[in-house]
Amino acid sequence: MKRTSLLLLAPCLLLLPSSCIQKEKSNTECDIESVSIHVDAPSDIFYHDYDTMQAIISTSTDITFTTRSYAEVGLLPLTLRVTEGATVFLVGENGEEPFHNGSLVDFSDQKVCKFRVVSEDKMWNRMYNISILHDKPSEGNLSITFDSYALDPSGKYYVWNAPDIFTDGQWKNGNPGFKISKSSAQPMDYPSTPAIGAGPDGNDCLKLETRDTGPFGRMVNMRIASGSMFNGVFDVGNAITNTLKATQFGSPFTHKPVQFRVWLRAERGSVFQNREGNPVSGVVDEPDAYVVLYRNEDAEGNKVQLDGSDVLSSPNIVGLGRLPHHYNADGSDQLTDSPIHGVTEEWQEFVIPVEYKAEVDADILKNKGYNLVISFASSWQGAHFQGAIGSKLFIDKIRLYCE
Amino acid sequence: MKQSITIYLLFSLLSVFPLQALCHEGSSEATETSWEKWGPTAGLTAGGFIVRAGYVIGGTTPVPLPAEIRKINSFSPRGGVSIGIDGYRMFSKRWGISLGAHFFWEGFHTNADVKNYYVWLEQEGEITKGYFTGTNVTNTEMWGVTVPLLATFRISPRWNLSFGPYLSYYFKQTFSGEVFDNDQGVGYLREDSPVGTKILMTRENPTPYPDNFADSMVPFSVGMEVGFDWKALRHMNVFGSLDWGMTDIWKRDFEAISFHMYPIYGTIGVAYRY
Repeated sequence: MKRTSLLLLAPCLLLLPSSCIQKEKSNTECDIESVSIHVDAPSDIFYHDYDTMQAIISTSTDITFTTRSYAEVGLLPLTLRVTEGATVFLVGENGEEPFHNGSLVDFSDQKVCKFRVVSEDKMWNRMYNISILHDKPSEGNLSITFDSYALDPSGKYYVWNAPDIFTDGQWKNGNPGFKISKSSAQPMDYPSTPAIGAGPDGNDCLKLETRDTGPFGRMVNMRIASGSMFNGVFDVGNAITNTLKATQFGSPFTHKPVQFRVWLRAERGSVFQNREGNPVSGVVDEPDAYVVLYRNEDAEGNKVQLDGSDVLSSPNIVGLGRLPHHYNADGSDQLTDSPIHGVTEEWQEFVIPVEYKAEVDADILKNKGYNLVISFASSWQGAHFQGAIGSKLFIDKIRLYCE
Repeated sequence: MKQSITIYLLFSLLSVFPLQALCHEGSSEATETSWEKWGPTAGLTAGGFIVRAGYVIGGTTPVPLPAEIRKINSFSPRGGVSIGIDGYRMFSKRWGISLGAHFFWEGFHTNADVKNYYVWLEQEGEITKGYFTGTNVTNTEMWGVTVPLLATFRISPRWNLSFGPYLSYYFKQTFSGEVFDNDQGVGYLREDSPVGTKILMTRENPTPYPDNFADSMVPFSVGMEVGFDWKALRHMNVFGSLDWGMTDIWKRDFEAISFHMYPIYGTIGVAYRY
């Protein structure tokens, strides 16, 4: 009897923590996780049926829907999915009122509607802008420079505007991810920075540089960050766990590009390293530049957004123009010490034809059924965290000629 | 909450002391013989040595558990060995004092679901901080020596209770772990504040703790020990003790974990009485 009671002591100690779980606290978060608009005939107003619903990434507070250029909208029922327990207020000129899902919201005349989301514990709130904008007709041919840039609201890194070029008017890159790993970095220490007066004509151009991500990068086995620049979405939420999904390439485009021209010069980092950070002999780093045109909807009408895992390999790709590289017989990238991309330390203009492997449907094209990707990297294997620290790619004067 | 832990512990401890031991208080001649028989070898007020070997189980935990910890999914001990020696001296039939040195290897692994758990990580001047929700795995092991200075009380011929402070010195401490999503697939850090960037964490690619956590652990711990000895044989005791650490295991400037944590380890084992 005495001995058995002795043995009771051990399980008692084990039970101690679980018997002490405290009451759960109220949620502190206050995000809009998705927005949907109800319209009876979506295709009359939007280019795609899926355009009526948007998943919202945590860094986004300006939410825009794009309608066909001729579509007029007025009062529309709006549904927001927010953090559990959070409450939503519609903010007007005369104060705010509680917002309930399905209520009609006046989106006429491209009005910006303001919403305030308050957390369940009432300690935190976020402001969101939601608007429905008319699509602007695109000329087709693009001419892009990188002299319009500014620090982002956090003041940590630069952002580049591309008004009237991409749907959301912005270039994207991996800088927000670099900020997580290297909090001490100054704006000019990021992988994507302006290069002041360094362009071919003495103007400001873009500089991409492969950087060391520091101790936190090593911790998660992501030792380098290639400089990058592309159009689409950079979902920083996936930057640590599912990096290939973080870079979501492309935005709708209504013309068929045939020639991609860009001024480039590069400096090669000295030691090519693999994902584990070990030097790889017999391999040199290479820059990358490409344009892709791909079908942005699958057979069931679902949205297709290519990402780092398939932007150069998806069956949805119809056209591709890229700096030349070596490939293995199975189509995979071949790492070599004798690259053929032709980019040197001197500025040169590259003329890259866009080659088509499938017909472009004129009607689908007109209805924004294809996405265009323009993408650059200082290390072509950067998505796999391989490359040489210090590899640089300078970029200026992009021109895209369309049919 | 603190009170309920204390009550719970007292209850656990008391449950191992059968009341019939106390019922032998009646001072019949047979009982007096019994006191002598089970007493120190050279008279009732002499001293002696006890060599102990035990199994250690417990954890290093915030007390009480903070509301951020929602569920303990699993817990398992690591190490769990204690070998030591105590010298004791009886001052009277019932009261005595004991001083010892117990070498131990103790630790644990735990897997817990957390919500809004504040973390602040610094490595080589780089800082990542924010609120984590998901699953948190922690492993810690400690090698060291504990020096308890205890008052001992003989409640019956064969039963001793002991109580008093102890000082532990750690030769080596490790503290590692990782974070990822919970069984519902929820795992993320809100950078800086609950409205900051939401960075997803998954079990396919878990994020480990930095390897410098152990550098921020204090190599000493002070606490209180309670224990019992049951004289099973003429020279052999069965014993149990509980060491409740009262000093935070983290150095004062350590901010990675926002709450104080205390080592609370119990030992059961056998001892040889000289």
